[in-house]
Amino acid sequence: MDSEEKPMESEEKNIITEDDEFPSDLESKNDHHHHHHGEGHHGGFFHHGHRDERTENEKEEARKGSFLKVRHLVVEYTSDEEVIHAVNGVSFELNKGETLGLVGETGAGKTTIAKAIMRILPQPPARVRKGEVYLDGEDLMNAEEKRMLEIRGNKIAMIFQDPMTALNPVMTVGSQIAEAVHLHNAGISKADADKKAVEMLEMVGIPGERYVEYPHQFSGGMKQRVVIAMALACNPELLLADEPTTALDVTIQAQVLEMINDMKHKYNTAMVLITHDLGVVAQTCDRVAVIYAGQIVEYGTKFDIFDHPSHPYTNGLFGSLPKLDDDSDRLSPIKGLPPDPRQLPRGCSFCPRCPLAGPECDQHHIHMVEISDGHFCRCVKAVPMKKAEPQQEEKGHQEV
Amino acid sequence: MEPLLEVRHLKKYFYGPAGVNHAVDDISFRIEKGKTMGIVGESGCGKSTLGRTIIRLQDATDGQVILSGKDVTAAKGQELKKLRENMQIIFQDPYSSLDPRMTVEETIKEPLILSRRYKNKKEIDDATTELMHLVGIDERLRLAYPHEMDGGRRQRVGIARALALNPEFVVCDEPVSALDVSIQAQVLNLLMDLQDSRKLTYIFITHNLSVVRHISDDISVMYLGQLVETSPSKELFKHPLHPYTKALLSAIPSTDVHHPNKRILLKGEITSAINPKPGCRFAARCPFATEACQQPQKLEEVLPNHFVSCCQIKKINSEL
Repeated sequence: MDSEEKPMESEEKNIITEDDEFPSDLESKNDHHHHHHGEGHHGGFFHHGHRDERTENEKEEARKGSFLKVRHLVVEYTSDEEVIHAVNGVSFELNKGETLGLVGETGAGKTTIAKAIMRILPQPPARVRKGEVYLDGEDLMNAEEKRMLEIRGNKIAMIFQDPMTALNPVMTVGSQIAEAVHLHNAGISKADADKKAVEMLEMVGIPGERYVEYPHQFSGGMKQRVVIAMALACNPELLLADEPTTALDVTIQAQVLEMINDMKHKYNTAMVLITHDLGVVAQTCDRVAVIYAGQIVEYGTKFDIFDHPSHPYTNGLFGSLPKLDDDSDRLSPIKGLPPDPRQLPRGCSFCPRCPLAGPECDQHHIHMVEISDGHFCRCVKAVPMKKAEPQQEEKGHQEV
Repeated sequence: MEPLLEVRHLKKYFYGPAGVNHAVDDISFRIEKGKTMGIVGESGCGKSTLGRTIIRLQDATDGQVILSGKDVTAAKGQELKKLRENMQIIFQDPYSSLDPRMTVEETIKEPLILSRRYKNKKEIDDATTELMHLVGIDERLRLAYPHEMDGGRRQRVGIARALALNPEFVVCDEPVSALDVSIQAQVLNLLMDLQDSRKLTYIFITHNLSVVRHISDDISVMYLGQLVETSPSKELFKHPLHPYTKALLSAIPSTDVHHPNKRILLKGEITSAINPKPGCRFAARCPFATEACQQPQKLEEVLPNHFVSCCQIKKINSEL
């Protein structure tokens, strides 16, 4: 792998360099100011650059810690000799029982990140240029395909956005679930796998006798429950949920989110929830990573992000939302469009749309700044601040 | 004030092998000029069918639609053609509602040419340019094809086409649902600006409740082909009275991280309006349902301008 200094393409074009610090509570606190490109050291915990020179000790260090670790993930797509920079150095950590929300717009790279973790990106056209993924200490990027087959569906499960296309139309829903159970439990009898499938259906609120029905006999919300039942059939430790409720109506969305939350608490599952709906994030996530043009631009607890949104893009997202309790006439949208991923701006990728942009924004790669404990922002204008006391979350809903 | 649009007992039934689908079943309301009526409901409740029947993209089974004093449902031939210029629709999906083989210019021009209002090519070109400016499409995109543009721009083309003949009334059928949040806000602002400058009257169909509150003066909540509640929009969000409206509003994921939603979880899902029983169609999922709900329900004015169709309304809402 190349060094931090080496540009990927011509010098003229944008440069995506090895990414910088790691948004985690373990991050050293000496990194409050923005670093110029290539300045080197940021943060004590996280070593970066010159990956091959790392010692075994450091590699060992990387394996330890959180349940899921994603570091410096860089993914490109190649089409017609053009390189599309989909994910440009994404790092995050996730503990068991925690939910991380990946928020961003179409094309920001959210789904690519999830697929890269699961190693189901079609290669080519996709290419994981670099990056490390550790699940429970196991290096997934260098695992053999045979091992990945064991891990997928068993340790990691994914819920896809569109339940209509995620199910096989010519298999009964029950046998689709039983198939997953059968594959991951060597020696389980067909009868036992079927029994487990019925159990899973009932767990997601579908009567067991509908085991023999086909996907077209179910409504959208029911189909999404089938997909969820399938994903949870092998008690995955990590759940990657890609817009699990986007295709559903609000009342059904409420039911499905409730169910996912219950499952999560019951099995202490770690979850990455991909969504563009800030409301869904507020109601389900512990931590939030805001993604823009393949980079995390802001990272923190949900209280950090919702109470003190700091990156101009995050603020723009909130300004674009019609509020239920606000009577102002006009929304304040973000002007312009997301950048062309083939030609990302040099420097801050949000710069062309940013109301605060200044001359310092488009020159260098922008690094994450820790503006309060565990709250990171990729903006040269970000100023460290005093953090307010997070309030206790109260859980409450009324079942009728 | 005379309403611009009046819908009287409108019905649209679809006859299929499984029975008669009462997609729109006896719906009445009126909209004043320059106002927006929001229609909300879950997928399959008939809200798009309602919009399409009002502008006569399909014929009504029964009932009347009166636009500026003219009966849309009974109009024929030339008269209907003239009426159509006055009522337009903006579709949900800007990816499938534009002809992929027509440039931006051709798409916007087409209604201008068909209307025969313009004398020569120059006038049509000028009008096209003006429309592009109006909706904020750059001149350099004049010869672009839909696939070369993002969803927001395509939707702007759809809006330009709808406004080409200067209609008074526009049905917006989920115009921003397919767009990203930041682009969605741009298009919503555009729609509101156009309403101000051209005194447009909108029916705004959506399942997104925060969007509908933002843009509408009045909101009607639909459930399986019928209106269950109609009220000025702020009033509806402040005092939802029908049990379905209450559940629907409580299900919107709130961005308030300190006060998680107190969700009213409904049992089951929206079913279908095929051969419905005469009583309240929400009764099967309603926590307050009783014997009396098996009788036909009527939309009644329980508070000023606030109509609800529920026989249990006084029991559910102690303040009434």
